[in-house]
Amino acid sequence: MNSRDSILAQVKNNKPALSPLVDLPPFEGDCSMAMFKKSIELSGGKLIEMNSVADTEKIILELFPSAKQIASDIIRGTIAVHSSTDNIVLRQIEVAVLHGQLGVAENGAIWLTEDEMLHRTLPFITQYLVLVLKKEMIVSNMHHAYSIVVPSAYGVFISGPSKTADIEQSLVIGAHGPRSLTILTYQE
Amino acid sequence: MTATHSQLAEAFNKDFDRTTWHDEALWFVRQKRDSAAYGIKEFQELRELASRIKEHTLSNLDKYLVSFEQNAIRNGVIVHWAMDAEEHNKIVLDILLKSNSKRIVKSKSMLTEECHLNPYLQKNGIEVVDTDLGEHIIQLRKEPPSHIVLPAIHLKKEDVGNTFHHHLGTPAHESDPQRLAEAARQHLREKFISSDAAISGVNFAVAETGSVVVCTNEGNADLGINFAKVHIACMGIEKIIPAWDHLGVFTRLLARSATGQSITTYTSHFTKPLEGATMHVVILDNGRTKQLGREDFRNSLKCIRCGACMNTCPVYRRSGGHSYNFTVPGPIGSILSPNLDLKKYSSLPFASTLCGSCTFVCPVKIDIHVQLYKWRQIIAEENILPVYKKWSMKIMATLLANPLLYDLGGKLARYVLRITPDRILNNNWLNSWAKARELPKPPKTSFKTWYIQSSKKK
Repeated sequence: MNSRDSILAQVKNNKPALSPLVDLPPFEGDCSMAMFKKSIELSGGKLIEMNSVADTEKIILELFPSAKQIASDIIRGTIAVHSSTDNIVLRQIEVAVLHGQLGVAENGAIWLTEDEMLHRTLPFITQYLVLVLKKEMIVSNMHHAYSIVVPSAYGVFISGPSKTADIEQSLVIGAHGPRSLTILTYQE
Repeated sequence: MTATHSQLAEAFNKDFDRTTWHDEALWFVRQKRDSAAYGIKEFQELRELASRIKEHTLSNLDKYLVSFEQNAIRNGVIVHWAMDAEEHNKIVLDILLKSNSKRIVKSKSMLTEECHLNPYLQKNGIEVVDTDLGEHIIQLRKEPPSHIVLPAIHLKKEDVGNTFHHHLGTPAHESDPQRLAEAARQHLREKFISSDAAISGVNFAVAETGSVVVCTNEGNADLGINFAKVHIACMGIEKIIPAWDHLGVFTRLLARSATGQSITTYTSHFTKPLEGATMHVVILDNGRTKQLGREDFRNSLKCIRCGACMNTCPVYRRSGGHSYNFTVPGPIGSILSPNLDLKKYSSLPFASTLCGSCTFVCPVKIDIHVQLYKWRQIIAEENILPVYKKWSMKIMATLLANPLLYDLGGKLARYVLRITPDRILNNNWLNSWAKARELPKPPKTSFKTWYIQSSKKK
């Protein structure tokens, strides 16, 4: 018997009697912008409410006046990044401005998939990350989030900038990934 | 003979200030956990749900494993099965050799620690770099992790500064966490970009979709996996959860219980490999099916490795993770390890006051302190208790079962304790109990006598 079959046989032999699968109750919660903002700030991020998605470019210029290497499919005058972009180009990216699909008010997490990332590494290799999100796409908690997002090839919830507390429990923002995360919301 | 928990803890306790610091650092994490847990009103309901989802999963695990495998294969993932650590390591090496991968980046995986994968790969000429900052620190120091979530919690910033000075060339005496982390960032970015393959652990494996979910704060798993041409995700059979929707329950519990965050910075769902890249999942048993067959202990397989039981444990906090001499230290490790080697780990179920704090904080409601107690029974039955413990238990049992002997024993003890000089009574060599404390003065009478007398007065 190969390892697969013998592991499965052992599991079958040793498992307890079937216990029923419970249904998940509908956990309701606060999906207000105030709650979303609070959670983002708690995770070390920053939220800016825009009037329209057209304001993105102006805000990016204000936030990163000296940034030269910007990758985005939302604003103009940027470095083209796609799934086969070279590592040498990717590692020089200062700011990435990408779409987020959905936001979670309870923890400030934003869902984005490979389709929004331009390159799978971009949201992680960039020095600063900006995610642009439609206001209508804010849900209260993870239960609602998982009922909406589907398992694409690769998808990530991102909550705040990359961080670590591995040295004496001191919080350091900007571990391996982005040193800051800014969420820009807009109404359609 | 293997050193016992108390022997190793004694070594840790030699530095009193550091022990106190360690204790307080972990208690701080426990407090953060409390505020995050009570920050959502349904926290207790989520614990119950998580526990029942895991219970159901374990009771149907063979079917879920097969459906995970089928869905993963459909997604283009290659699935491997390993009976034990040796087979696991061989599978990983084989994948690396076949794909001509020489430089490997690895994100945190307690399972690969359990299998001692790093030394095995290094012996076979492969460079493995741990990329989680805590793991990287201890890898440079050639130490095992002392905590499953905070692997370098036993170290002070000066220790890290010294290590980085030697290995990464940071200035001597540099101990600022911000600057040390920055040095590691620069060093590891090179590794991410030039790696051939990435190894990761798995927090949750979703049977319904064949996805594996990895949770990190640093972003090291995503950087490693997305730059590499080969991704190998290593998981134990117990990481399975039935459905995508169940992730809502577990992601709300994991980070709250672990570090007191509402969610980890990155919760990454790997379902299909990138075009031109390959993704492997290695599913490991290594004693887990055996534990599944132990009625009293199978619930330990519900564990989601949050580390809350360690942060809250008064024994762990003051003895350090290395004193457990097992990959997973603390209360949960003390109920997992005897399954693998009862004799070697026989001191671990005793490294507890049975206060039950671990059970109280466990996000999947494992009855940890009850299982610790049950392992003690088995250790006594198997006759592998240390001699002093065996005989003192026997004497206590006789004494407690015989009221006359108990009264006499009490009188004798009060007398002897009163006339014995302090330096003998609290001598560490004669009385190991007195190592970090002093015996109180014995009362004049027993509680029984006091009770009879005070009842008469009324």
